[in-house]
Amino acid sequence: MTKLLITEITRMGPAFCVIGLQREGKKIRSVRPVSATANSWLHFPFHRGDVLHCELAPFSGAKPHIEDRVSTSGFQKESAVSEPEIVAYLRKAEIADSLSGLFDCSLHENKNGSGLFAMPLQAKRSVCGTQTRNLRLELCANELRATLALSSGEVLRDLPVVDRDWRNFIEAALSEGRGANRVARLERFLNSQFHYKILSCPHHFIRLGLTRPYHDLCWLMLDTLFPLPKHEWLEEF
Amino acid sequence: MASSTEDDRWRRLVEECFRREAGSQVSIPDPMQDLIESGVLDSMGWVSLLRALESASGVSDLGALLTQRAASFGSIFQAFQEAQADKPASTSDFSQMRQTFTRIPAIIASSSAAVGSRTIPSEDVDWAFGMQPGKLRLRAGIESLAYAAEGENELTLGARAAQESLHAAACGAQELDWIIATSETHHGYPSLASQLHSQLLARETCGALDVGGACLGLLNGFSVAQALLSGGQARTIMVVTSDVHSHIFKPGSVAGELGGLFGDGASAFLLRTVRTTATRHAYALGQFFFGCAGQYAGAIRVAPGQDGSLEAHFDGEALSRAAITRLEKVVREAELRSGIARSSLQGLATHQPNPRLIKLLAKQLGLPQSKFPIVAQTCGNLGSSTCGAALDALLHSAQSAQAEGHRPIFMASLGPGLLFGGGWLVST
Repeated sequence: MTKLLITEITRMGPAFCVIGLQREGKKIRSVRPVSATANSWLHFPFHRGDVLHCELAPFSGAKPHIEDRVSTSGFQKESAVSEPEIVAYLRKAEIADSLSGLFDCSLHENKNGSGLFAMPLQAKRSVCGTQTRNLRLELCANELRATLALSSGEVLRDLPVVDRDWRNFIEAALSEGRGANRVARLERFLNSQFHYKILSCPHHFIRLGLTRPYHDLCWLMLDTLFPLPKHEWLEEF
Repeated sequence: MASSTEDDRWRRLVEECFRREAGSQVSIPDPMQDLIESGVLDSMGWVSLLRALESASGVSDLGALLTQRAASFGSIFQAFQEAQADKPASTSDFSQMRQTFTRIPAIIASSSAAVGSRTIPSEDVDWAFGMQPGKLRLRAGIESLAYAAEGENELTLGARAAQESLHAAACGAQELDWIIATSETHHGYPSLASQLHSQLLARETCGALDVGGACLGLLNGFSVAQALLSGGQARTIMVVTSDVHSHIFKPGSVAGELGGLFGDGASAFLLRTVRTTATRHAYALGQFFFGCAGQYAGAIRVAPGQDGSLEAHFDGEALSRAAITRLEKVVREAELRSGIARSSLQGLATHQPNPRLIKLLAKQLGLPQSKFPIVAQTCGNLGSSTCGAALDALLHSAQSAQAEGHRPIFMASLGPGLLFGGGWLVST
């Protein structure tokens, strides 16, 4: 039986990708439970911070997704930890402060447009935590994108934000029931209060991930952004 | 309405960028076809295509214009047409161009100032530089100095001021077309403007420009920004000043009569065109004028020595006389050019070599000292940021006043050389 602290729930089309932390001796490392038939879950009724009991079997998935484990039983919730505690554990797992350290490989710029990618066989892992000097979210043609500066000063642009809670928050902000000028109001929030709320939060932390190889390239994504959005923030704009 | 030539240009751009993104073997889609829903591009490919188009077309907010619209060629063409309708008409006729320039004023949408976190009594600075206790207070009128704390530098102070200015205007860094920075103490590379670009997370196609002029740097920056905005080449510009003297003018490296005068600070101004600002009672940049009075060039010279030390020549008496004379002349010139009487001003954002000189300047001009915001008295001479901190204080005082309280502001500053410059701001 494995004890798994759920740290990431990301949106991948209609499904969810889940990542958790597992303790191995003195080490804490990331583990991605997948079903025997798919890399993602169509239904995942748990939340970040939930501590789940499950059976995980090793799985020789394609590089760089070395964190994949096949879940051979259902999940059972044992307890839950707070957001600051999740981040405290994430800081003890895979972490880097420079671009080359994120996945222990070179990252390449898309010469035709936006985005960064890694070569699947070069990347040593598919998820990593990091501190940011600065971060902003932006709506680009219905897509949520993040631009951030690592503590090394290196800037990563136009990362797709796949964090389930942040995506849900943006959708809620744009829902029709919220009246007129929703996009402008959301942009105003992202350009002002958001920055204070995120960067002044003592447990501000992000995790970056790599997509599954797509046309032989693994693209960088913003997997998770702490603090998670609060529903009451919707009342502020 | 866009001309057919422009339509052709956009079509060519869109098709070329699409081929690069989707591959040359993919056929050009129907204008109404949703590229994501039909599986031609995924969401990353769609955003990537838009970023390539933003860069190639100069329409930097294409992505924002397409929010809540279909991911189709038709939506892109429509957004291009809307962006074109929002731009001043381009013309090759010089007289029309001049009219365009005067039609688009540059507005200060927001401002901010930041000073070093450590407040040091001037007597401590006297002592550190080996001067008689009380010298800075009695001779220069400086009560305290703002010094950078550990971890503070030109980048952190400048970025703090810029970020606050962005927040005040609810403007995202992605909206910036240019970052114009000036500093008399930052000499390393990457330059201050490029570091601010990364720190603020401006978009890649936002320009970063450093301008010189030492204490005159803010006016130089405003002048460049005004030209870019008025010419229709930019809609949103951040002008930043940032100076950290305490890391350079250390006891032992320069005399206290020079080094003891300076503090650390930054200022930031978000400049926009009227067309894009919603700020009520904002100030618009008026005209600026500049010059160089070479006869005073010898009054102050600072240069790196051969052994890596700092060689500073500073004739305090000559510089004081020159500063007062020239600042007074610049204010009179601004009065003449603008037709605005100095008695009707909200205040004067001038360079403040030291508080005693500002007291003298106020007397020479027949103005109450309250027209000059207190900067040097509590923070020291902040270099290019002195003018910035003073202007920020005046803008905030005007903001808290009633509408009729928004009176014109004069700016005047000096730099080694002796460079001088002046200008004015009027309420819109």
